[in-house]
Amino acid sequence: MQLREKKKTKHVMPTSAMGDVAFLILIFFLTSTVFTKDKGLKMLLPDKAEEEDIVQVKPENIVMVMINPAGAIRIKASGVEKDLSPHEYDEIKRIVEERLLERDTLLVVSLRASKEAPYKNMVHVLDQIKLCRVTMPDGRKLRANKISLIPTSEE
Amino acid sequence: MRKSIIRRATKSVDIPTASTADIAFLLILFFMVTTVFRATTLHLKIKLPQARSTERILMRRNVSYIWVDNQSKVYMDDNIITEDLVAAKIAPKVWDNPELIAILNVDEMVNYGIVDIILDQLKEAKAFKITFATEFGRL
Repeated sequence: MQLREKKKTKHVMPTSAMGDVAFLILIFFLTSTVFTKDKGLKMLLPDKAEEEDIVQVKPENIVMVMINPAGAIRIKASGVEKDLSPHEYDEIKRIVEERLLERDTLLVVSLRASKEAPYKNMVHVLDQIKLCRVTMPDGRKLRANKISLIPTSEE
Repeated sequence: MRKSIIRRATKSVDIPTASTADIAFLLILFFMVTTVFRATTLHLKIKLPQARSTERILMRRNVSYIWVDNQSKVYMDDNIITEDLVAAKIAPKVWDNPELIAILNVDEMVNYGIVDIILDQLKEAKAFKITFATEFGRL
């Protein structure tokens, strides 16, 4: 037997504005999003060296990559000296990776481009050096982080 | 009795128009925000070199651009300058923002000598963070 009649209330949340809100948010993000258009190869330049700041690097820790005005490449690493034509970029990567495995973090890659060398060739060589990636026997992943761009005035 | 058989169902059909104004405002705002009035046209034709290790630069507020076209002309802040003025131009910017990244948009046919002069100028102005702008691509 029911003594009291229960109140029945209907709870409805208005959902008709949901679509408007969705569009508002969509348009807001459409207009406020900016896609990064800048891309390139990052480098960190060294400060102008004082006399006492100069550190001597052992010759066996250096891989020297030289680019001549014709775009030809000469790569010099302890004992090995090799001339490469302007399109054998993969060879640079192979040699630097080989040296990286041997010399670990001590390795310095020095890039010496001639004044008349095309900028394109210099970027391609830099690209190859930046692509180098090796896994050491103990599992560390290494990259050729120490890259020095030799000023052309030092020729 | 007969009348009730042929009685038609009367439904009220109408399209809600209350939100028309909202749509209009939405369109206005959309076009207000997206319209860009072109003030200057820079005719710089620069073909950037390609590189496979191209990275994106995410810090958009911290960048300053240096352009070098295939005639080896140097542009900064919409002006043609000589390469030995780069330090003077960029030094106050580095003073304002030490995190500044100088982006070098250099045409691929330019000689490296001019890039080297600019790098030296940047070192002088203590703008050590630089990026060689490249296009992502296979060699």
